[in-house]
Amino acid sequence: MVVLEFERPIKELEDRIGELRRLAGPSEELQGEIARLEEALEAAKRRIYTNLTPYQRVQIARHPDRPHFEAYVDAIAEDFYELSGDRLFGDDPAVRGGFARVGEHRVVLLGHDKGSDVKSRVKTNFGMAHPEGYRKAHRLYELAGRFGLPIVTLIDTPGAFAGRGAEERGQAWAISEDLMALAGVPVPVVSVVVGEGGSGGALAMCLADHVVMLENSYLSVIAPEACASIIFRDSGRAAEAAEAMKLTARDLEAHGIVDEVLPEPLGGAHQNPDAATEAVAGAVRRALSGLAGKDPAALVESRYERYRRIGAHVAGQPG
Amino acid sequence: MAARGARGAGRSEGRYEIRHWLSKRREYARPAPETESGLGPIDGVFTKCEACNEPVYAKDFEARYNVCPNCEHHYPLAAPERVRLLADSGSFEEWDGGMVAGNPLGFEGYEERLEKARRRSGLEDAVLSGGAAIGGRPVALAVMDFRFVGGSMGSVVGERVARTIERATERRLPLIIVSASGGARMFEGIYSLMQMAKTSVALARYRRAGAGAYVSVLTDPTFGGVTASFATAADVIIAEPGARIGFAGARVIEQTTREKLPEGFQTAEFQREHGNVDRIVHRLSLRSDLERVLGYLAW
Ligand SMILES: [Zn+2]
Repeated sequence: MVVLEFERPIKELEDRIGELRRLAGPSEELQGEIARLEEALEAAKRRIYTNLTPYQRVQIARHPDRPHFEAYVDAIAEDFYELSGDRLFGDDPAVRGGFARVGEHRVVLLGHDKGSDVKSRVKTNFGMAHPEGYRKAHRLYELAGRFGLPIVTLIDTPGAFAGRGAEERGQAWAISEDLMALAGVPVPVVSVVVGEGGSGGALAMCLADHVVMLENSYLSVIAPEACASIIFRDSGRAAEAAEAMKLTARDLEAHGIVDEVLPEPLGGAHQNPDAATEAVAGAVRRALSGLAGKDPAALVESRYERYRRIGAHVAGQPG
Repeated sequence: MAARGARGAGRSEGRYEIRHWLSKRREYARPAPETESGLGPIDGVFTKCEACNEPVYAKDFEARYNVCPNCEHHYPLAAPERVRLLADSGSFEEWDGGMVAGNPLGFEGYEERLEKARRRSGLEDAVLSGGAAIGGRPVALAVMDFRFVGGSMGSVVGERVARTIERATERRLPLIIVSASGGARMFEGIYSLMQMAKTSVALARYRRAGAGAYVSVLTDPTFGGVTASFATAADVIIAEPGARIGFAGARVIEQTTREKLPEGFQTAEFQREHGNVDRIVHRLSLRSDLERVLGYLAW
């Protein structure tokens, strides 16, 4: 498992305990020392993992061993009937989706896929979608609207891909039409940010009625590294930028941007993937039940109100 | 989202060089505007066009709304000048004047940055909005101004654009938004991102209500969250010649992909060729072009 910089003290203790165990074998001689180190290990974990800085959380959100799309789908859905393609250009593996059964609910389930090994990460472009991905999402939103199926989205992307082809094929246009579609789709929309929530490429899939975030996920207008390089002219000051931007789940909850934060296993979702995916599945089921049966027009209206009020402006004479 | 559209500009010390219009580092390096255009009294001073390297009579440049008389290069235009260009004389009535940005994240240095931008631009934020008439036809109009923190979208841009859309919805007016933006207002963090959602829900409602036609005008530069929300979700998209328009800036793309980008990448012409904009219209024809299209779509 990949060890993050700030996890080093934990890793060192774990290694020493492992080493002593090996040396001790069946003998009782080193047991006292091992027990002492195990206590120190628990203390180190509590100290480090309960005082995570925003940038450390960003690193956990990006952890390669963190559960990704398929693991969540397995936990959320009893059946997943995957659909492909944008009917215009191609199929983008960075956005996956289809019909799914979630308890008694039939839904359209979609999300970013970052892949789980080197090969699939390359295939999914590390979760950075091209316009085809956003247009596939658009297709799914429309299908959901026409068939009255609630929409569930799983957000995990560093951002929409920045590349020549993406620009040629209208990345910005694809995202803006997704926002327009979500703004008006007459079915419940539930979103869970499970990892990275990078900017417009995330928002195109989480303009929703109920937004949940995993504790160590983030949602941000820009990557902290890029923010630091523009504002401080030094991408090395990403930790400061992450702090200043208030991009953590708890910060966003405090600002009224998201509705619910799900605690993660100590050290992050990758330390106990099943617990994390089950927590997400539970939150999705609760949210779907809570929104089921609402009048479609009222849903769209309250979604409008929800986003309409977000802002930090002062005064202004009416026209 | 932080795409910065403008390319690095020249570093001449000339006080009234046009190149200052392009300087994103120093926003607009000129002193506070004394005339509406911001060029100030020039007394026959020549200025050099960055695009064609020819000397240009500054008064001509100003009279042509910052379009080079020699090579027709379109330089950014201050929002009040844009309104003067488009609206019937005396018809513009500002909405939501006096609205200013808060500092929701307590971002260090943001207030100073805003203060400086206000002083330099004479505007309260990166958008000017109001009711106007174009060719006698009432419209709702919002115009962005690149001089103000790079035309970045924060709460004020989002709110004024949303209110403009809402008034257009209530009063069943055609909607015209002229965009110029480097992307997100990073100092406002998540609030900046959420303005994409806010303007989109307002625009979706305008569409649902069948309240009127929305014509979007893209000017140099238009990038990031503005392009990825209201600027492209229009019935008709017009772009100014040579305007750089996109999601991510060329520099970001070159850095991340190491791709060599073709000549003219992300220009208005490139975007039309790729099916992303409808028309390229010279600034001095923009008003009559809008009258024409509204003649088809407005009632
Ligand atoms: Zn010229």
